Amino acid sequence: MFLAWNEIKKNKLRFVLITGVLMLVSYLVFFLSGLANGLESLNREAVDKWDATGIVLTEESDKSMPQSSMTIEVADSIDANEIAIIGQLNAVATSAENKANVAIFGIEEDSFIMPEVTEGESFSNENEVIASDTLLEEGFKLGDELKLSSTDEVLKIVGFTESARFNAAPVLYAHLSTFQRVKFGEAAEENENQINAAVIRTDDLSKVTIDDDFELIETETFIENLPGYTEQSLTLTFMIYFLFVISSVIVAIFLYVLTVQKISMFGVMKAQGISNRYLANSVVAQTFILAAIGVVVGFGLTWLTGAFLPAAVPVAFDLVTMVIYGLVLIAVAIVGAVFSVWTIVKIDPLKAIGG
Amino acid sequence: MAVLELNQVTKSFGEGHKKVEAMKKTEFKAEKGELIAVIGPSGSGKSTFLTVAGGLQTPTSGEVIINNQNITKLTEKKRSNIRLQEIGFILQSSNLVPFLTVDNQMRLLDKVKKGNMTKEELEQLYNDLGIYDLKQKYPSDLSGGERQRVAIAKSLYSNPSILLADEPTASLDSDRAYEVMELLQTETKNKNTTTIVVTHDTRLIDYCDKVFKMTDGVLALQ
Repeated sequence: MFLAWNEIKKNKLRFVLITGVLMLVSYLVFFLSGLANGLESLNREAVDKWDATGIVLTEESDKSMPQSSMTIEVADSIDANEIAIIGQLNAVATSAENKANVAIFGIEEDSFIMPEVTEGESFSNENEVIASDTLLEEGFKLGDELKLSSTDEVLKIVGFTESARFNAAPVLYAHLSTFQRVKFGEAAEENENQINAAVIRTDDLSKVTIDDDFELIETETFIENLPGYTEQSLTLTFMIYFLFVISSVIVAIFLYVLTVQKISMFGVMKAQGISNRYLANSVVAQTFILAAIGVVVGFGLTWLTGAFLPAAVPVAFDLVTMVIYGLVLIAVAIVGAVFSVWTIVKIDPLKAIGG
Repeated sequence: MAVLELNQVTKSFGEGHKKVEAMKKTEFKAEKGELIAVIGPSGSGKSTFLTVAGGLQTPTSGEVIINNQNITKLTEKKRSNIRLQEIGFILQSSNLVPFLTVDNQMRLLDKVKKGNMTKEELEQLYNDLGIYDLKQKYPSDLSGGERQRVAIAKSLYSNPSILLADEPTASLDSDRAYEVMELLQTETKNKNTTTIVVTHDTRLIDYCDKVFKMTDGVLALQ
């Protein structure tokens, strides 16, 4: 630490430059992780809200809820601790001033997927809905009447709930019968048994048995199969991992150049009997100082940027993820220092002092 | 009792007809309290002698004994530790760390070993060498002579039992050179250490107890 810190103090400019690069890399990593997290929430919020173990869909739906179609009887025959039936359809909702893509969830009021109302009240009459608070931010209000693209039915917002987006669309929660009227129109009564899926909550998913025509999948698998979800998150994750490699290489090159410049100095110190371990520790300590400062400043900048971003940018910072990525950045920087440590160990003190 | 002993030591480089014998069979003994000069023209093997004696390289044959310990067969790690504990080097090229102030050069030694000079002893040493006012300066702010004196201070600071100096007065004017030799003489006597000075400057031999001459790899007492 003594050598490391004194060198940084003496050669401020070069160390400020490398810390600056590390700061920018960590800024980008943090920002991308926020973006990845934000995009993921955009897709999965409403599903996370269920806090479910798994979901039953028809085999032929290929894990897609809108494509799945079953009857309430099928759902009732499943043997699990808790079962919630759900009907789902996508539509465009238009109020007097606003327009939005929405996902309508038809549910039963007493099931476990019933959302907690944070503003207004729950649906009690026909065609009343609880809306995602995303719609509130977009300008929709309590009491707004919503015209839908696919039907003549008009829905009325009576309440709002937090964090409820499904595959990027804000969710409107309605009673199953409302959903069926929206979906089937005049044929609603004949189709009053029709739902899309059954969400289940149970201790052991493997013990639940279902018919061959149906498929039981874990909640996480269901989320991964939401259209575009895996593609988006893989792309961003790949970019983040690539940045880890880049920062490791940057640190490796920088420290290696510095080390090569100092070969004769290290040789002299080794001739005096200062151990490889002490010199190696010094290089690692230096890398740690630089990377830690870079990451902390990057972290601060990210936070600051987040505070000024418009709501339309789907960035959601997750502190735990950011801390982990920050630690990984410091760790890969230290991996980058290994080349220099290796160079130091190989220095022959005799050659270095020109003996 | 000998502090440093070389028994039947040879050192050669290369193989076959390219083989160069830098040190022919050498017997050498240095006692406590002795200031010894090794003189000889450049290329005579003086530096090889110094680095073999200081444990920086192993001899081709024979053995090197420092304070009763045969260092010939030791690993580089153990020899490194012996250099740290027992030997002070004053090298031709300045052995200072460029990003440490004069004072911090000494503190670096405190970080890696115990038994260095006390604060009072160090201040006395700074005064003796005329570098007291340079304590807070970096090597790049010093003249060649000043750097050399700091390097001497650094090698004495660790209280080595053997001090090996390679042309310690090379970059000093005559007056300073004599002062440095006087200082090395005093330190050697007061601390009862052993100092070996390799030089081609024959004016310095008046300060020394013994003078060896190195010619073509053969070391002979004068």
